[in-house]
Amino acid sequence: MGNFIAMNNIVKVFPPNVVALDNVSADFSEGEIHAVVGENGAGKSTLMKILYGMQPYDSGEILLRSKPVHISNSGVAIANGIGMVHQEILLIPEYTIWENVVLGLEPVKLFDRLDENKARDEVKRRIEEFQFNLNPGARVSDLSVAARQKVEILKLLYRNVSFLILDEPTSVLTPQEIPQLFDELRRLRDNGHTIVFISHHLEEVIELSDRITVLRKGKKVGTINTSEATKTSLAQMMVGREVFFESIKQPKEPGGTVFEIKDLNYRDANKHPRLTDVSFSVRAGEIVGVAGVEGNGQLELVNVIMGLLHSASGKVQVHNQDLVKASILDRRKKISFVSQDRTNMGACITASIKENVIMTHHRLNRRFTSWNGGVINYKEAGVFTQEVREKLAVQMDSSDAPFRSLSGGNQQKVILGRELFLNAPFLLLDQPTRGLDVGSIEFVHQQILAMRDEDHAILLLSADLGELFRLTDRILVLHRGRIVADLKTEDTSITEVGYLMLEGKSHEA
Amino acid sequence: MKRKILINVAGVLIAMLLGAVTMLVQGYNPLETYGALFDYSLGNGYSLAITLRNSVPLILTGLSASIAFASGPVNLGQPGQLVMGALLTTICGLYIDLPPVLMIPLLICAAILGGALWSGIAALLKGLFNMSEFITTLMLNFVADYFTYWAITHPLFEKGALHPQTPLISRNGWMPEIGDFNTNVIVMFLAFIVAWFIFNRTTSGYEWRISGQNSLFARLGGVKVDKNYYLVMLLTGALAGLAGGLIIMSGPHRFIKGLGANYAWDGIMVAMVANNGIIATLLYGVFFGILQTGSLGMELITAVPSELITVLQAVIVLIVVAGRGSFEILAGKLAARKKMKERST
Amino acid sequence: MNVFIGLINGMIASCTPILLAALGGSLTYYAGIFNIAMEGMMLSGAFFAVLGSYYFQSWPLGILFAILGALLMALIFILFSVVLKVDEFVTGIGLNLFSLGITTYLLRQIFKVKGAFANPDIVPIPRLHIPLIADIPILGRILSGQNLIIYITVLATILTWYLVFKTRFGLRLRAAGYNRTCLDTSGVSANRIRIWSLLICGVLCGLAGTFLSLGYVTLFSENMSAGRGWISLAAVILVSGHPVGIALISLLFGFSDGLGLYLQSVLPSQFTSMVPYVATLIALFVYSVRKRKQAALEIAGG
Repeated sequence: MGNFIAMNNIVKVFPPNVVALDNVSADFSEGEIHAVVGENGAGKSTLMKILYGMQPYDSGEILLRSKPVHISNSGVAIANGIGMVHQEILLIPEYTIWENVVLGLEPVKLFDRLDENKARDEVKRRIEEFQFNLNPGARVSDLSVAARQKVEILKLLYRNVSFLILDEPTSVLTPQEIPQLFDELRRLRDNGHTIVFISHHLEEVIELSDRITVLRKGKKVGTINTSEATKTSLAQMMVGREVFFESIKQPKEPGGTVFEIKDLNYRDANKHPRLTDVSFSVRAGEIVGVAGVEGNGQLELVNVIMGLLHSASGKVQVHNQDLVKASILDRRKKISFVSQDRTNMGACITASIKENVIMTHHRLNRRFTSWNGGVINYKEAGVFTQEVREKLAVQMDSSDAPFRSLSGGNQQKVILGRELFLNAPFLLLDQPTRGLDVGSIEFVHQQILAMRDEDHAILLLSADLGELFRLTDRILVLHRGRIVADLKTEDTSITEVGYLMLEGKSHEA
Repeated sequence: MKRKILINVAGVLIAMLLGAVTMLVQGYNPLETYGALFDYSLGNGYSLAITLRNSVPLILTGLSASIAFASGPVNLGQPGQLVMGALLTTICGLYIDLPPVLMIPLLICAAILGGALWSGIAALLKGLFNMSEFITTLMLNFVADYFTYWAITHPLFEKGALHPQTPLISRNGWMPEIGDFNTNVIVMFLAFIVAWFIFNRTTSGYEWRISGQNSLFARLGGVKVDKNYYLVMLLTGALAGLAGGLIIMSGPHRFIKGLGANYAWDGIMVAMVANNGIIATLLYGVFFGILQTGSLGMELITAVPSELITVLQAVIVLIVVAGRGSFEILAGKLAARKKMKERST
Repeated sequence: MNVFIGLINGMIASCTPILLAALGGSLTYYAGIFNIAMEGMMLSGAFFAVLGSYYFQSWPLGILFAILGALLMALIFILFSVVLKVDEFVTGIGLNLFSLGITTYLLRQIFKVKGAFANPDIVPIPRLHIPLIADIPILGRILSGQNLIIYITVLATILTWYLVFKTRFGLRLRAAGYNRTCLDTSGVSANRIRIWSLLICGVLCGLAGTFLSLGYVTLFSENMSAGRGWISLAAVILVSGHPVGIALISLLFGFSDGLGLYLQSVLPSQFTSMVPYVATLIALFVYSVRKRKQAALEIAGG
């Protein structure tokens, strides 16, 4: 084991004065699994993007086997044997595995004819070498997220990449899919490959890695051997102070039933059942979480509640009023909705902040219209925007500025503000903290808990099990369109929920 | 706001510069040529009046396209809606006779109805069968074109005429003139003010604008997107129809072959270069009216073919839109840098 | 029987320009480009075909000039939509307007006429008589003796299918349409692929334009393309780009055109001229009703 790649004294400044990396040095050996950890914004992604050629840096050097290299783009990186798998899987779902893997480096015959057989064989060879258990002819759209991740790795291995960077690889997997990935990574390491993975899941880091480099606010805190590290010591290095891993909500006695779904069934356009016999309720002052692997009915559930899809049978009720046939506007009188897709569903990013904030309010609140609802009162809209700004501590310039000029965290705050001010009895929250920085996440959690204190009924869908366990009173698990569990949060564990998400039944059964 | 004006003016000037270069290359004198153009269209009261009168269809079809594009529906049917409005106006003008104070509003209503009916067909096809209005409005243009051609060649044909045309409509339906100044400009202006008010101040207008930028968000917010779709299609069809009717009432006073042919795509062009802004559409409509009116004078005086102006118009559109886009990319890059800054802190 | 053969030949002739342009449209469709400029490219091709043929007294040069003329339009499209990143819809319409303007202007400037330029000195594209095949009863009169461009079109259809589905370029082309970021990170510039697709589209539209002005008629008239570019766009959309589907639907449109001519004995000519456009509406109707049964309401991506 010698030094394979060394990054020395890397400095990266984003204009005008944000120091993302301050003299960071790190080294990676052949045949090791090396974790890079740190809080959001610590610089770990930036450092790796520099190594992969996606970001230029301002000073410092990169050495490959003690020789300096200049990695100007990803193509150069790959040519040097360095590859990166991003958090967001970037494949072509309509293509098969082999088509995705060879894209860009295709074997060809005469007249640019694609050599299909050779391509399949090459891909098959690598699948077997690393025991990936995939069929080269399978269509990517049919694969699970874990399998797609493997295809991304395959793509790099096909290009003879021996240095693999993985950005938050476990964030898209269920707890039960992680061990298989870890086995594969260990096999690659034993084969002489180097794996660098970015993560903030400390248990996994400790389980998988050989060495850990910790970054904090753009500076390297240290590199330690995993054998010498504990979760607490790591956390302390990451944050610089003692960190507690605890839930923050107060116990509360829930009130009467506000929101109820009874025997909901939904089939998609191809007659496949997407929701089967879904029934549950949410009471006032209660936060109910919905856990599940993506694609198990969450999207359909949300869209049926909101009225974008119409169910075959069943009831959706708020305060005993059935909404199944109601228009979306009528539903909005009772439901506040924060969608998971901020830019496409939660806001109109090209419009001004003011115009975004009064959506729905413009029809439900006479305050914002004149002439018997025919004309918009933009002055009141401006006042309202300031109210939202104050309550949610939004950082913005003028209310006429375009919505997209706000940062992600502030955008979500405005959306949350708009929905909270509707003061509807039922809140539907779908991944409300996705993509936000730590500070914003904290803030949003507090707002959600405040709504709980005010006796709203809240349904929270989240892919972050930690978040669910932090906030919810009860957890539902959605598996293949069915609710397979309805548990009190304090009576269950992340592991059990993870198992239910994947298998559809509990561990004991 | 200042930035917007700058981009537009710069774009137009650059395009005209390119036009000047083209003229030079072909041996024409650009200063003389442009001079003749502007003199002919703006030189005196009479010219101004003609220019304004000619700008009316440009502005109205431009408004039709602008409002439609900004609200979502891709209404490319102004050519067809215009001639159908003109046709209905002509029919009423030929078979009904009332004193002017009643006749003129009647004919205007006929024009609006004709246009709205035609766009309404496309709206229905979309609402009932989910047929893309992009294609249906385009195809209906051709259908309208041939249909009106048949109408003025057979049932409405003026006996003894050398070309396909209808007889003159009743004199009571002719838009009155105040000196050289034609009152169709007043009608256009009223329509413009109404359109501006509806689009920028009313609740419906707010919903249309948001729907045009993100219809899913609007739908989730409770906006009745489908109902609004119909309204927008009808309103924009009406505007284009109005343009057609006013042409008949203030111009040839009969339906002649090729009516509206020039205005066919101009409305869409004006909307694009105006970036769907209502006031900008008015301004660009007038500007292109100046160019088009002046092009005839330009040809008379300097022998530069008037068709050069059609090329110039297209170049202006391309350059202004490109300049605007490049600017926005730049602004976007600056905003992205700002975001990256915040991410790293 | 003569009527039947006449109908078939009419169908083939009407179908050809639509098919050629639609093949070009298919390539840009696969590349993920919203290309509505086929009308302008075709018109430009039609004009320059006449220019080349007239001034050089040669139909091969007519074809060459047509292709160059259409390529010029394609280059402008590339400049504005790919390089300057202008919205493709706007670029397309701007380009169509520009093409209309410049062909009308040059018609006046170069040929000194308004409306149309027809002249016995324009050399049309010849027909191809294939010796043995011409002797086959009935079929022979269809398979042999067609305009040269029609045979080129058949070849082009097959080549397009091959290009899209069997070659490396085709794999990358479709990838550019499915997910251009993925293609870019795989080491292939999606922009370069898009540019190529536009260039080939230009060539095909140039050929389509040549057929218009040097094929069955030998003249150029203002706005000669008369909306065929829009019909070919509809064709591309209706079959989601697939070359074979495009061939079939182009034949359908060609048939409707021929039907229109046939109906002229029964209906006024203006109504028969409407037939292709009405046919497009009907085809769109069938397509939309089918699609509606399949799709649910608009749902946001998960």
